[in-house]
Amino acid sequence: MHHLVIDRWSRGSSSLHQRDPRAKLAALLVFLVVLSTTRPGAQWAFVAYAVLLILTANLARLPILGLASRAALVLPFSATFALLTWWSGDSLRALALAEKSFLSGTAALLLVGTTPLTGWTAALESWRVPRMLILVIQFVYRYLFVIAEQVQRMRWAALCRGPKQRGFRLAAGLVGVLFARSWQRADGIYHAMLARGFRGRFVPAPPAPFRSSDALFLSTCLAGCLAIRMLL
Amino acid sequence: MGAFVFAAQMVNFPVGPGTSGHLVGGALLTVVLGPAAASLVLTAILVLQALIFQDGGVLALGANVFNMALAGVAAAYLANRLWAHASRSVAIFAAGALSVMTSACLALGQLLISGVPMTGGVLWASLGLFLISAIMEGAITVAAVRAIERLNPAWITPQPATSRAVAAVAMAALVLVVGGTLIASAAPDGIQRLTMQGVDSVGWRARTMAGLVGIAMIFALCYLGGKLKSRRRSA
Repeated sequence: MHHLVIDRWSRGSSSLHQRDPRAKLAALLVFLVVLSTTRPGAQWAFVAYAVLLILTANLARLPILGLASRAALVLPFSATFALLTWWSGDSLRALALAEKSFLSGTAALLLVGTTPLTGWTAALESWRVPRMLILVIQFVYRYLFVIAEQVQRMRWAALCRGPKQRGFRLAAGLVGVLFARSWQRADGIYHAMLARGFRGRFVPAPPAPFRSSDALFLSTCLAGCLAIRMLL
Repeated sequence: MGAFVFAAQMVNFPVGPGTSGHLVGGALLTVVLGPAAASLVLTAILVLQALIFQDGGVLALGANVFNMALAGVAAAYLANRLWAHASRSVAIFAAGALSVMTSACLALGQLLISGVPMTGGVLWASLGLFLISAIMEGAITVAAVRAIERLNPAWITPQPATSRAVAAVAMAALVLVVGGTLIASAAPDGIQRLTMQGVDSVGWRARTMAGLVGIAMIFALCYLGGKLKSRRRSA
């Protein structure tokens, strides 16, 4: 499963992995804003963005090809609209649409591929994102795989009971039972957490201080993005 | 503290629909957990999808959250409350179908606004597709809620009787649905708005009207269904 790959990537030890999550998140935001405001006509700017991303991936020692193929998952969606634009004769904007979605996907992967989930959620929390939302994100991520496996098991079980039985009723029953089981599991987990003294939030390790190397990284990204945006 | 019970309990669930046939699941969440929790959970799911699974894309995140987690849930909630006294299944079906349809129309409107040109044919085709998936979503939501009710009726958040507050919510949501395609697309997302350029202002009004007509048709259908059911019951 490819998300497990991302988990493995995020535990690396390159210099990019060691940067403060806040700096990386800010750099991603800067990149996204700069990218989305680039004119469709400035094709060289897109090339420059790609080079920037490749350099960063190199710094993080992540496989470029793996990165690109995962980012390409966004393409079927945006390519549909790009094609529509193409047919109406605006090929330049169509190209820009596909490039923008691909590059933004790669940039987001660079963030989650070099920062563990707890890192970037802690960064979000320090930016006053509502704690509830962060808790939910963390829980969804933690139990995603557990539940996905359960679905798989339930499907096999249904297949074993009768291969002919398919479709609507089966799917609805599956969702219902899955809900029931998830609910019970959540209840159990919640009580277990209470028993261990949970008081409504995870207490992260005190964040590492924002070092000068983090500031350097952020300002380099800022300068690079802005230079490309202004000059090309 | 009570808030956290919510978080822990609802979180696990939404993964299910995602894997079994890619249901949006917003309506199901709304019916089972109530609108506030449903919005929260959907937002969390969308953030994770955009960042880790590259599903939907980072640039469209703001628009997605608005379309699905806010407008979709609002539509589902409204439908569920309005028709709950007529017939439960109709209400839940309407919730499922309308939440998908609202999100779809908003998304189409935003695409038009941000300069993806769509001819009438393409627009009608995609509306048709969305209509089919809306009906599927409605049907499967009904079936799933039934299954959950059979397992343990206490899990479904009880829907209190219609009150004045609900009427206010209904009005707000109605405005959202009717004006949604136009208004929401005017301010879809800060980033998207920056890239907005060259909107051809002649055609898109007519095309968004098509979306509105689609919503109105579903509304009318559900309304008629609810009326029929309740009349039969009183007779």
